Amino acid sequence: MKMKKIFGLVVVVLLASSSVNAQKIYGTRNGKISFTAQKDEDVTAVNNEVVSRLSDKGEISFSLLLKGFKFAYAEMQTHFNNDYLQSNQFPRADFKGNITNIKTVDFTKNGNYKVAVKGNLTLHGVTKPITVNGIISVKAGKLTANAQFIIVMKDFNIDAATVTNQVNAEINCVY
Amino acid sequence: MKKWTKIILILATIAALIGSIMVYRIFTKPHRDVTSEAGVKMTAQQLFNAFKADEVAANALYLDKAIELSGEVLDQSTNQDGQSVVNFKTDDPFFVINCTFKTHPGELKPSSTITFKGICTGYIPDANVVVNEGVLVGVKP
Repeated sequence: MKMKKIFGLVVVVLLASSSVNAQKIYGTRNGKISFTAQKDEDVTAVNNEVVSRLSDKGEISFSLLLKGFKFAYAEMQTHFNNDYLQSNQFPRADFKGNITNIKTVDFTKNGNYKVAVKGNLTLHGVTKPITVNGIISVKAGKLTANAQFIIVMKDFNIDAATVTNQVNAEINCVY
Repeated sequence: MKKWTKIILILATIAALIGSIMVYRIFTKPHRDVTSEAGVKMTAQQLFNAFKADEVAANALYLDKAIELSGEVLDQSTNQDGQSVVNFKTDDPFFVINCTFKTHPGELKPSSTITFKGICTGYIPDANVVVNEGVLVGVKP
C-alpha cells in the first residue's frame, strides 16, 4: 500500500513538472530550402525534404541531405555532389540554434514576427556559428519560417571557385 | 595564308567546338529516371534497420541507389511544391521512410501496403530515411 502511494506521488510530481516545462514542438519532414549561385542564376537547386523542428521556447533545427537538392540541369547536380560538396562523404547538412528574441513571438496570435536566429551550421564536414534574420508567420495556428542568407563557400572548405564564391540560400518551411 | 595561321585557325575551331559540346551537354543531359532502373528490393523496415545500425555502412550500400521499397503507408501528403509524399511505417513510432513521388500515384490509403521505387538520398537521425524522385510500382490488394 505504501509503495503504491509513493508511486502515485511520483507520477503526480512527474506530471506536474512536465506540464511546467511543457513546450510545444512544431515539426516538418518536407520543408523547403533552395539556393542560387550569386553570379549565375542558372545554378539553382531546391530541396523539399528538409526536416525541421521549432519549439515555442526558441530552439530551432534544420537537417537536409545534399543528394536531395534538385537542379534544373542534371549535369550541374552531378558536379555539385561529386566535385564540390563530396556528398558521399558528407551526405547531410545540419543547423541547430536558438531564436534569440523568442519572447516577441506570440504563437497564439496571427502575424509575421521578425526573429534573429543564432546557431551552428555543419556543412561539408565544417561547423561554423552563423546568425540569420528571418520571419516566423503564424496563421490560424499554422507556422511558416522564412529566411534568406548568404553562404560563403570558403567558410566551409568548398572549392567551387569556377562556378561561384557564394550562394544565396532561402528557407521556406511550413510546419 | 601562312601555314601557322592555318594551324591556329584549325586549333581555335576545335577548341570552340569542344567548348560548345560541353555547354550543350550541361544544358541537355537528361535527369535520372528511376523507372528504367532495377531497384534494390527491400522492406521499409529493413532500410530503417540498416541505417539505424550503421549509417556509414548503409550509406555505402544505399546512397544514390534505386530502391524498390515495400511497406505499410503511414500517411500521404503533398509537399510545398505540390508533389505527393508518402511516409512508410517502421517499428519506431517517431521514425518513417519519407518518399516523394515525381509522378502523382493517386490516393493511397493509410495502412495499405504499397511498393515504391525511388532514389535513396540518405538518413536524418531521429526522423527519417529519404527516398525521392520515385514512382508507384504497385498496391497490394
